[in-house]
Amino acid sequence: MSSITPFDGFGLGLRRTHYADFLEGEVPVDFIEVISENFMVEGGNPLRVLTQVREKMPVILHGVSMSIGSAHGLDEDYLRRLKALADRIEPLWVSDHLCWTRTSAHNSHDLLPLPYTEEALEVVCANIMNAQDTLGRAMLFENPSSYLAFPEDEMREWEFIAEMARRTGCYLLLDVNNIYVSAHNHGFDAREYLRALPHDRVRQIHLAGHTDGPIKIDTHDQPVCDGVWQLYDEAMELVGPVATMIERDDGIPPLPELLAELGQARELAASARGRIAA
Amino acid sequence: MTLAAQQAEFMAHVLDEDRALPAGWTARHAAGFDIYRNNYRSSLVEAMRSTYERTAGYVGEDAFRQAAAHHLIGNPPNSWTLDRVGDGFPGTARELFTGDPEVAELAWLEAAMHEAFVAADTVPLDAQGFAAATSGFAEDDWSAIALRLTPGTMLHPVSHDIPALWQAIGADEDAQPLRLDAPGYLLVWREGLKPVFRLIDETEGLALSAMLGGAGYGEMCAMLVDRIGEEAAIAQAGALLGRWLHDGVIASINPPAATE
Repeated sequence: MSSITPFDGFGLGLRRTHYADFLEGEVPVDFIEVISENFMVEGGNPLRVLTQVREKMPVILHGVSMSIGSAHGLDEDYLRRLKALADRIEPLWVSDHLCWTRTSAHNSHDLLPLPYTEEALEVVCANIMNAQDTLGRAMLFENPSSYLAFPEDEMREWEFIAEMARRTGCYLLLDVNNIYVSAHNHGFDAREYLRALPHDRVRQIHLAGHTDGPIKIDTHDQPVCDGVWQLYDEAMELVGPVATMIERDDGIPPLPELLAELGQARELAASARGRIAA
Repeated sequence: MTLAAQQAEFMAHVLDEDRALPAGWTARHAAGFDIYRNNYRSSLVEAMRSTYERTAGYVGEDAFRQAAAHHLIGNPPNSWTLDRVGDGFPGTARELFTGDPEVAELAWLEAAMHEAFVAADTVPLDAQGFAAATSGFAEDDWSAIALRLTPGTMLHPVSHDIPALWQAIGADEDAQPLRLDAPGYLLVWREGLKPVFRLIDETEGLALSAMLGGAGYGEMCAMLVDRIGEEAAIAQAGALLGRWLHDGVIASINPPAATE
């Protein structure tokens, strides 16, 4: 499987409210990320927009429906459509989440949690190998945020992820907010998690906001909080220069607000780089 | 328990709010699980709300959300795409809003407009292209040709002036259902990148319906003759063809099979 070269840049998610900004103007980002499924269609305006944006800048395809942890394997129709889109757009890379979304009968359209067991690891790895073979490229998988842990767990999440990357050659999309949310929800140390990951496999970082409560919820509808910025600062020192993105899916503010958050990420990344050099 | 069994059980709990949680799960598990249940319900209702925006505006938010939740219980999604989550909702609306049959017709139009929006791209045949494609036809060839309609072209019988309802809801005006004097059809297709529709009479609807069902041009003409008589049918067939070419709903002509 081909390797993925690190891409040192800062980007945003392409959301419908900002289509005109990206098509008609020059938005100061190094890449954009799109939800793959929104463009896995036969034709029409969505594909036209994506094709035009792709002419201006690199694109990352980020999926939510691969269901890589599904015990029933992958949906072959889904894989065929994703491959067609990837072949057409030639993205920096294709990513999805470490989760499952469907059984053979139903699809929840939600990122459901996996038990961290040897059996689940084998299922996930077999599915990743299938996906990577079909797409003809290595993929990135994102660490999830979760709201419950299973009594059957045999290993910690970071151990599961490290072993998944080792067995399959896949890369990692590190969602710092998800670590922050899950650390709170399950009572582990976010920094221990960060330090235990295979840093050389990380190719992208997601930054997002969440909703506070007794159980924190990964809602992507708020600015990035201070605690997540602090974790990001540490992460950038550990993983080196990789792509960073602000992920906002709800309560989407005007573009300048998101660009200001991205500016904060640029400053922290530069500071981390300075510390590494020193 | 295998992973497959565990996932089947987890999904069953997501879909059925009344199902008791697995033995051994604590209050903390239940609190976490409630978030997944709530995410499932709220995100899918929101997806349907996005597809059926005008229907929701017409029946009211609360009534729509109840109808959407009812639909999801009977029709849990099984496709990877959220676009398919509201499949069959016009049928559910027909059952739930029995005294307001226009609701199901409005819902059908919204679903069709969304489908046409992402249908495969094609360049429709115009009058000039049609003339060129048929220039060598002998008289007998005409009855053997079939018209292939553009991707996303859809047709549905209606008994209400749904375009008027559509416009009133979009303009935030008082929307009142107006029953048609005679049954009609809604025709949906894509004009360039934009899905569009128009209300057509029953004769045109039956003619297009025959074409969508794979009938040849000759069969369509025979249907018109039965319905309105030979002389009127000849004029009508030509007029309909001209209109469809003008609208851009004809993708290509399947020529008559070559004869030995």
